[in-house]
Amino acid sequence: MLTEFLPDISDAELEQFMQIMLTQHGYDFRGYAPASLKRRLGLVIKKYGFTSLIPLNQRLLTQPEYLRYFINEITVSTTELFRDPAAWVALRVQALPPFFALPEIRIWHVGASTGEEVISMAILLQEIGLYSRARIFATDIDDISIEKAKSAQYPARSRNLYKQNFQAVFPTSSFEKYAHEEGGHLVFDPSLLKNTRFLKHNIVTEAAFGEFEVILCRNLLIYFTPPLQDQVVTKLVDSLVPGGILMIGTKESLFWCSAAKRLIAVNDSERIYRKQK
Amino acid sequence: MIPRGPEVFLWIIGGSAGSFNPIRSFLHQMPYYREVAIILCLHRLRNPRVGMVEAIGALKGWEVSEPDDKTYIHGGHVYISPADYHLLVEATGYLSLSVEEPVHFSRPSIDVLLESVVRARWKKAAAALFSGANRDGAQGMYLMHQAGHFTAIQDPDDAEIRTMPEAALALFEPNVRFKAADFVKVCLQAITL
Ligand SMILES: C[S@@+](CC[C@H](N)C(=O)[O-])C[C@H]1O[C@@H](n2cnc3c(N)ncnc32)[C@H](O)[C@@H]1O
Repeated sequence: MLTEFLPDISDAELEQFMQIMLTQHGYDFRGYAPASLKRRLGLVIKKYGFTSLIPLNQRLLTQPEYLRYFINEITVSTTELFRDPAAWVALRVQALPPFFALPEIRIWHVGASTGEEVISMAILLQEIGLYSRARIFATDIDDISIEKAKSAQYPARSRNLYKQNFQAVFPTSSFEKYAHEEGGHLVFDPSLLKNTRFLKHNIVTEAAFGEFEVILCRNLLIYFTPPLQDQVVTKLVDSLVPGGILMIGTKESLFWCSAAKRLIAVNDSERIYRKQK
Repeated sequence: MIPRGPEVFLWIIGGSAGSFNPIRSFLHQMPYYREVAIILCLHRLRNPRVGMVEAIGALKGWEVSEPDDKTYIHGGHVYISPADYHLLVEATGYLSLSVEEPVHFSRPSIDVLLESVVRARWKKAAAALFSGANRDGAQGMYLMHQAGHFTAIQDPDDAEIRTMPEAALALFEPNVRFKAADFVKVCLQAITL
């Protein structure tokens, strides 16, 4: 025990756990940064009244239906509409204009979580008249979050923050065009998702699919070690068309990523990059 | 060579309401140590008008930054937890960020940071807790104490808001209860132990 507050997890225990996740369940957490992973595992263990990973492993083996809840619990799904409004303004003003003339624009949200980022993008495209030409893929490892994303409904208490962020990106447009409150929920216009496909997909272990004009992978790389960041960013840059856009989280960095050589900063402080032609 | 990664002595300083001015004036008096990195975890406005780096101002010797994710820890630096992210220390010597839900209504949370230092089994570290209006940091300080690290808590009578130091003092007795004006001495004492 680390203390009465939190179960300790040794490196050996973590190693064994990751091996079981990989061989029994097909999830590869080996490149995840240990600090957060151990913390999340500690919280799950505590929630179920366990004191180590052993009974947790047992439970995952005997009750496979529990796996999806477990994946939901150890991943961090925090997100919001137009998180970092300045980055969305930069995306609209500096990054997207070269695609305005294309007959089709393909977009991939990696680690889309509960979908607020997908809705943000849909609203942005709607506002600049591009939505009908967009084909959007939204992927995540966590199918519970994906189900929530498909519903396009959020707790009503999110409203103030979401509206404030929206207004920071579109000062003269109206949030109410896109969302209304109903039965304790903030409900977005379902047509915002009509060009979107949600898929369960693990960016670490699965191949990329197709080519994209724009890829957003925000606040997911922070959960990886530098070597896995390098590997995943290479996969993402390979999936961009020449001139395609990669947008990462505003506190994430490509410092450890060799594929950064193939990118030019569109807006370095907002972490928006373009693949060289 | 400036010490880097797991070799660095980490001085972790947490605070909330009423802690910014005393911590700022401490930093301006603190002599430069290339073996030491200071990590500040201060609760703050979600969308601050001025950056924390600017608010602290230039220091003698120390480099001050809000680290990006997976910044490799260097001695002689002051790292400030970025607004709206938790900051965690990796055993391999990196700083990680997380958007996990707030702890004690706080992101960054002092508890999350200190817990990570203990989980990383960091060799050389110390922690201090200043004024504040909530309970964040109490558990983390206790963890640091149990792990054998030097701990210091601001005397509640000296703190602008006593809640935070008091919450920690309710759990354990630190190495030092300090007055903000004496904190430079306390800080040096831990480094040279
Ligand atoms: C913090 S959320 C980011 C949400 C959104 N992109 C944002 O920035 O607001 C991270 C998401 O990444 C997902 N994730 C974690 N590991 C993944 C993997 N290997 N492949 C795909 N998604 C993953 C988690 O399930 C979670 O939904």
